[in-house]
Formats: sequence, structure tokens, C-alpha cells
Amino acid sequence: MNVIEVKNLCKTFKVKEKEKGFIGSIKSLIKPKYKKIEAVKDISFDVEKGQIIAFIGPNGAGKSTTIKMLTGILYNDSGTINVMGINPNKKRKKLAYEIGCVFGQKEQLWTHLTPYDNFKFFGSIYDLENSVIEKKIKEFKEIFELDEFINTPVRNLSLGQRIRCEIVASLIHDPKILFLDEPTIGLDPIVKENIRTLIKRMNKEYKTTIFLTSHDVGDIEKLCKRVIIVNKGEIVLDDSMENLKYHYLNKKIIELKMKEKVNLDDSKGITILKDKGYNLKLEVDTKKTSISDALKLIDANNIIDINISNVPLEDIIKSIYKGEK
Amino acid sequence: MLYFKYFKIHTKCELEYKMSFIMSFISQFFVFFGYYFTIISLFSKFSNIKGFTVYEVLLTFGIIQFGFAFCETFFRGLDKFDDLIVYGNFDRLLLRPRNILMQAFCEQISLIKLSRLLQSIIVLIITLINIDITFSIDKIITLIFMLISSVLIFLSIFILTASYCFFTVKGLEVRNILTDGSKHMAQYPIGIFKKGFVTFFTFIIPFGFVNYYPLLYLLGKSDNKLLIISPLITVIYLIPSIAIFYKGIKKYSSTGS
Repeated sequence: MNVIEVKNLCKTFKVKEKEKGFIGSIKSLIKPKYKKIEAVKDISFDVEKGQIIAFIGPNGAGKSTTIKMLTGILYNDSGTINVMGINPNKKRKKLAYEIGCVFGQKEQLWTHLTPYDNFKFFGSIYDLENSVIEKKIKEFKEIFELDEFINTPVRNLSLGQRIRCEIVASLIHDPKILFLDEPTIGLDPIVKENIRTLIKRMNKEYKTTIFLTSHDVGDIEKLCKRVIIVNKGEIVLDDSMENLKYHYLNKKIIELKMKEKVNLDDSKGITILKDKGYNLKLEVDTKKTSISDALKLIDANNIIDINISNVPLEDIIKSIYKGEK
Repeated sequence: MLYFKYFKIHTKCELEYKMSFIMSFISQFFVFFGYYFTIISLFSKFSNIKGFTVYEVLLTFGIIQFGFAFCETFFRGLDKFDDLIVYGNFDRLLLRPRNILMQAFCEQISLIKLSRLLQSIIVLIITLINIDITFSIDKIITLIFMLISSVLIFLSIFILTASYCFFTVKGLEVRNILTDGSKHMAQYPIGIFKKGFVTFFTFIIPFGFVNYYPLLYLLGKSDNKLLIISPLITVIYLIPSIAIFYKGIKKYSSTGS
């Protein structure tokens, strides 16, 4: 079952253009010039129920704009959106009961109140009965380990604790889809890991569909089975994580530490990334040359240390952003 | 009701800092008495302005202050609406299954401004004790209508200026012309001004129906019974304001994140 269906989605912004300096400011006041920016150009995709999907792209690629249209914050110019069978433009309120959103950079909690008071408030916004809210809070308190600070005002919490509370606040009404916009931004690796585990658990236990944007490759690699990459308002890749890796995994990185200097040149399927005489870094395209052929070029007795690894996902994504295929 | 839930939570927030709250409350209370002193000292020179005595002017003054303070206290979210738009926090409201205008009201509720409301009520009571009106039922109704319409007109102006932010993102000055500017003018019975102002405050921003036309009836300067319900014209003013607000939401373009 598809919970999100998007077809030919477009959105254009009109942005005021200003010339330099003070005179420019006055000029734009008298006769404003507008520039059209196509934030989203003809995007189509479907998301199935229970999927964890990564929606990634460089800054300004149109990720946030797309999320905002899916959640009913922005109106789309053309195309159709269908979230849980609801058109976000027309039935914003009805949609709000079905989805939850966490924007890593914008807080929605009341900073002067305790998480507990916050959760109670958010629950009542969604018309939940008091007993239901209490039950939910108790449940999440265990899953998200909130016991320590559930009665401390939010302003005194650490960023990691606050993000956990943000996620709980957006889950209080049992949404079917959770939109996470950079949930782990600014967190330390341990807390990041912790948040990822929680998100995974949410997905498993409640079958919540998760729509994630992040610049953190770890988030994407550990959580998502499917990746959509957007750039300049268009989808450049929509594939499963395995496929993505497989495609790019036919490239291997070989790092060598040698006893004596060797001279190697680029040859078929082999690119030299770094050559410092004793230390070498090669990229081998296994479609063209097998690893064993590549290794034959090197005198085995001369090797002190060798390390063969995959191309990191981060580099894969970087090269997709740049448009290399 | 949603508003009371917000009210409770705002109260909780403000009472987190008790000392600051009490100090601000007291200072607000006294600072704005200055306004009233200006009028009283003005009238110590002149016994009346175009036939209006000091208590009659204080009555219009009190009514306008009441409406303004009421809106500033309970609908402060609208007054600070441009912040909501500029920092992109308006998104948050759109994600909740509630009426947006209602949420915008609730975004901020300023209990400190309650001191101004209290003050205007005190001034009104003093005025009503001293003013030369024999109160009958229709005059009491007129007075109540005047108070309600004073709240309504400021509410419409707040909504109107808030919608302005959708179109310009930041629009402070126009708001001040409408709110503070017209507030200062309308604190006096508008009959004392030139004809242009009277037309403006009758047809463009109907302050005249809040505190001038019904005042004439209240003071016995006119016997036209229609003037009793004239304050209700402000309701008509409220409707297009709300319509413009909703039109603005469609134009809303959020901010980058």
C-alpha cells in the first residue's frame, strides 16, 4: 500500500533581487525585480507503508520544500500529492492527525515547561483523552529513556535529550508517517546512534513510515532501505540502498604501504589516487580489472601493509551530487 | 477549549519567572497612567474641547484603551505575527490540526499587559461615577456595545496587519500607523477633528462607531436609537480582515531551513 504518492510536483518561488549596496536597496524599493527560482521541478515518487526512506540532496536541492508540500505547509504550483489518501492542500487539519514532523533545526517544545507538561499539551492539541496521553507518555518514557529528565524544564536539557523529547512530542498522536528533517544535526556520535536505534524501533514496533532527510551519511546507511537523491529540484536517483551500494561497489580502494618505492601508472581500470612513493592509494574498477589482476602488478614481497576497502557511501553520494554516474 | 489550554500553559511559563513578572506588571501599571495625566492636565487649562468635558473624553479614552489592552493581552500572538513568519515558526502552526487564526492568537498571551487592562477598567469606573449621565437600560447596553466593539475593532486591525506580513514578510511600520496611530487619534471623540479625519474614522477604519456615534447617544446629544447598535458595524469590519488573513496563508512561502 502506498502511503505517499507524488506526481509531477512543481514549486516555483519568486524571490526579490537586490542590487548591491544602499542605492541598490532603494532601487529595489521603488522598482522591485523578481527572480523565479524553480525549487522543485517535476518530482514523482511513491512511498510504501512501513518503509524508511531517505530523501537527500545538497543544500538548496528542494528537500525541505518537498517535505513542506507533503506536510501541508506550502501549496504546490502543479502536480498532485496524496498523503494517506489526503490532499494536503485541501485537508490540512485531517492530515495533521496522520503525520508527525520533527525539524531538527526548529523546536516545537515550550522551552519553559517540562517535557511532561509539553507532552500533555501536545496530546490535548490532538484531542486525546487524558488517560490515553498518560499511557502514551509512560510507554515512550521507557522506550526513549526519559525518566531522568521528564520533569526538568526543556531549557535545561542537553541537545540530545531535547531531540528525544521532540520526537516523542511528534509521536504522541500515533502518526502513520513520521517526517524527520535532519534529526541528528549537531549531536555527538553516541547520541546519534541512540536516536537511530530509537527510530528503527519505532518503525518496527508501530509500523510507522519514516521519511528522513539528513546530511549525515551514517543516518542514511544505518536506517534506510531506499534512497531518493534530489539535486536542483529534480530526482537524480531513486533506488534501494543495496542497489546504490552495489552499483558503486564495483570500485574498490586499495591502500598500500611498501618497503621500497614503486612506480605505477594509471592503467586499464586502475586509477592512482595518491602516490607518495612508499604509500599508495589505488582505485580499482572491478568491472574492467579484477582485484587479483591489479595485485599482480605489485610485488608481494615488497608490501608491508595492505588494506582493501569499499568506496565510502559519502563519496558515492558526493559524486552523484556532482552528476557523475 | 483550545484557547484556555494555551492560556494555562502561557501562565505557567510566565510564572516560571515570578519576580520578573511582578516587576513588569507593576511598572506597566504605572507607566501608562501618564496618558491619563496628559488629558487631565490639558483640561485644567480648557474646561472643554468642542463641547466635550474632561470625563467625556476620559470615557472615550478608557474605552479605546480597554479594547487595545484586551487585544494586547489575549491576542498578542497577532501583534508579534511578523516574528512568527520571519523565523519560519509559522510552519509549526500549520502542522497542527487546529484553526490557524486561533493558534495565531494563542501563540503569545501576555499576562503582563493585564495591568493595562486593569488600569483602563479603573479609569472607566472612576469616569462613570463622575460623568454626568443618567443611566437607563438602553444607555448601559450602548456602553457594553461600545466596549465590545472596541475589542472587535482592534482585533480586526491586528488580524489585518498580521495578514500584511504574508505579503511583505516584515511589515512593521504600516502596522503602527494602523494600530498606534489610529489608537492615539481615536482616544478623543473624533468629532473634535477636521472633517477628513471624521470621514476616515467612519468609513476606512470605523473607530467612529466605537466611541463617537454611540457616545452622542450616551451623552444625550442625539436621540437616534440606531446609534445604540451602531458599534456592531465593527463586526462587518472583522469579516474581510479574516478573509484576507486566509488569502495570505495561501501566499505563505516559509523560510529555508
